[in-house]
Amino acid sequence: MLNRQVAPKLTPIKSIDFSVPEMVEIHAGIPLYWKNNIANETAKIELHFNAGTTIETPILASLTAGLLISGTKTKSAIQIHHALDAVGAYYDVSVSQEQAVVTLYALNSYLKQAFDIFHEALTNAIFPEKEVQEICNERQEKLKVQLQKVNVLAQRKIQQVLFEETPYSQVISQGDYATVKRTDLIAFYQKHYLKGLSKVFLVGDFSKDVMLDIKTACADFVGKTFKTENCSFSGKAHIEHQEKSDALQTAIRIGKIMFNKTHPDFISFSVLNTILGDYFGSRLMSNIREDKGYTYGIGSYMMENTHFGYFMIATEVAKEVREATIQEVKKEIERLQTELVPEEELELVKSYLLGQLLKAADGPYAMLDLFSGVELHGMDISFYNKYIQKVQEITVEEIREMACKHLDWKSLSIISVG
Amino acid sequence: MIHFERFKLENGLTVLFHKEASTPMAVVNLLYDVGARDESEEKTGFAHLFEHLMFGGSVNIPDFDGPLQAAGGESNAFTSNDITNYYDVLPAHNLDTALWLESDRMLSLAFTDKSLEVQRNVVIEEFKQRYLNQPYGDVWLELRPLAYTKHPYKWATIGKEIKHIEDAKMSDVKAFFKKHYHPSNCILCVIGNFELDYVKERVDHFFGSIPKAKKSARILPLEPAQDRFKSKTIVRNVPADAFYYAFKMPERKNPGYYLADLLSDIMGREKVSKMYVDLIKKQKLVSEINAYITGSMDEGLFIITGKLNEGKSFADLDKEIWKIIAHYKTTLISKKELEQIKIKLRTARAFQDQGLLNRAMNLSFFELLGDANGINEEQEIYQSIQAEDLRTFANQLFAKKNGVLLKVKKKKNA
Repeated sequence: MLNRQVAPKLTPIKSIDFSVPEMVEIHAGIPLYWKNNIANETAKIELHFNAGTTIETPILASLTAGLLISGTKTKSAIQIHHALDAVGAYYDVSVSQEQAVVTLYALNSYLKQAFDIFHEALTNAIFPEKEVQEICNERQEKLKVQLQKVNVLAQRKIQQVLFEETPYSQVISQGDYATVKRTDLIAFYQKHYLKGLSKVFLVGDFSKDVMLDIKTACADFVGKTFKTENCSFSGKAHIEHQEKSDALQTAIRIGKIMFNKTHPDFISFSVLNTILGDYFGSRLMSNIREDKGYTYGIGSYMMENTHFGYFMIATEVAKEVREATIQEVKKEIERLQTELVPEEELELVKSYLLGQLLKAADGPYAMLDLFSGVELHGMDISFYNKYIQKVQEITVEEIREMACKHLDWKSLSIISVG
Repeated sequence: MIHFERFKLENGLTVLFHKEASTPMAVVNLLYDVGARDESEEKTGFAHLFEHLMFGGSVNIPDFDGPLQAAGGESNAFTSNDITNYYDVLPAHNLDTALWLESDRMLSLAFTDKSLEVQRNVVIEEFKQRYLNQPYGDVWLELRPLAYTKHPYKWATIGKEIKHIEDAKMSDVKAFFKKHYHPSNCILCVIGNFELDYVKERVDHFFGSIPKAKKSARILPLEPAQDRFKSKTIVRNVPADAFYYAFKMPERKNPGYYLADLLSDIMGREKVSKMYVDLIKKQKLVSEINAYITGSMDEGLFIITGKLNEGKSFADLDKEIWKIIAHYKTTLISKKELEQIKIKLRTARAFQDQGLLNRAMNLSFFELLGDANGINEEQEIYQSIQAEDLRTFANQLFAKKNGVLLKVKKKKNA
């Protein structure tokens, strides 16, 4: 007879198989990584360019990225899009602080054709004035919508606060669209796309010759090797509330500059971060959503760049509980600094993290993303074996130590809008 | 081709199993045949509020998420106007944990006052965050009652108003559970590197003893045929005037559904569609424009939506929209364009099928439609569509009296 009160026995995860993609060099220091043996007919190529928002200005980075397929001397934007459609390809461009990533998705039998179309469009892009105006209009309208959202306003503000006086603090404002010139975009494109390739990730089951052809073509985007410059941040905590009278909720962001994977405390701190706010059963969710019902969601997360990282708590709460929420966050952090986490809770988080890592390593696309996460820092895949080991070994005392060392309440900036 | 096995337990639970040998993970997906359309008009938002309560502990297990996380897994759910779908993704060797948790909450919930109180608040904050505190957030709260007068699609999944959620009582919650949460109202799908016999045995072990209940008949008010074009204007604090044309389209099981879907892909194509080229590039009338379908079980909506450029009027736009519509009613889509759309569909489908969770949800959904194997037949239906079919269909769909228009006007000095 089934006793429903007894949980099934669990089997822990002891090890995970990680694999590395094949690597060829496009040029010294500019790798192409290839994952083949794909069980289905999907394929993609990701081109990473040193063309993020910090390299010059966010407006140039964002508009140039949006205009990569805007026409050449012989083909209009519409013709190029039709050509990509004819091989069933999709493409998107995402711009982060340090990189712009162009991704093409297609069936493996068409990926090479899609890439050739894209390659021709990109190497010969002329940025027609008309296209520049169109994208400015579209983006400006979208920004107006964004700037009415409290979460967007709070996010922009904390970015300005944390990264003050560095290129990382820059955000796009309405006025930027009026002053941007086509010639600036062309200059940006020539410098950071035609000579800005930093690496390529390729997934798909095709012959080695196809991969080598792509590799050869990628050399057209190679310039001198580029190193992201290190920044120093003031680290000064700043507290500010911006009133928005018509808002129904208040967005809260609490954060500080942190480290990335290269730091010895990274893994231990990520376990702490999970306990605090990075899973559904976290301290913040249990208290602020599941006990108090102040919010639909609250979470903490760690973001990484080449030379540093940052830590952030984010939520939207009922307007009248803004102060109460901030106090509860403070209380939860202080509890982690003064009390030991119960063994059972730590065990749960360990199992959860290893289960999530197993999932993050499941399938060629996921595995390549994992690899990309260490490659960025010049580390190798063995990082994840160290991660498993460290997660298994970490003690409740170390968790408390991490909280004291890195989450001093006075070191955190607090921004609220609403 | 997605291979699957189907079996049924004596208590009426339908189970689908799809073997995927390459993954160390397992997916357990439960589709309950209940959505916002099954609510009464005085108590809307209930199916969704209920979904939240399903995570508040069950009759024998005080906490749902804890044991699943301890097993290295994760869970979530969503509610639509038609269905409520729950899923668990966890390491395959801990499959039992998901089956144990899901079977206990199908058996009965803990029904604590605290859980109801808290989830009411959480859902109210969700209501504010997603529908009220965003520009254009309340559009669907306005568009639905404009398009539907009788059918329960006239309210959104989140509910008609916050008050309905505030007023939810424990007795309502219990009655809702009894009516909709039992084996014969559920489709369970398991994916992972297992053998069929093993899955049968484990599913029966956990779910077999749940009492059978009768699946209640769904009798929904029929939406009367619309007899005239309707339009409504709302004034909001938004940065630009926005428009939402909505045309009634065939229900999910009707072949016309696929025609509507393909037509919306053609009309809404970014950068190259006639709408995009004419209205954005040539006339600079709008800053964005799109077409899509709601994809609902019963009669759905085909939407054409976008935002006007500063200084352009709704009247100018209206003329142009009807010109575009007239184009699709009279002109055949070129063979080339149709081929492009079809190959794009193939690509999109191949990428979707990569994800285990996607496969589980789709198999379950097609089973609800009548046969999980529909997942393997759908592409063929799309690929067989001809330009003539689309033109004929456009003439039915875009009959003027079949449409409504919601205009969101920018508040002056906003």
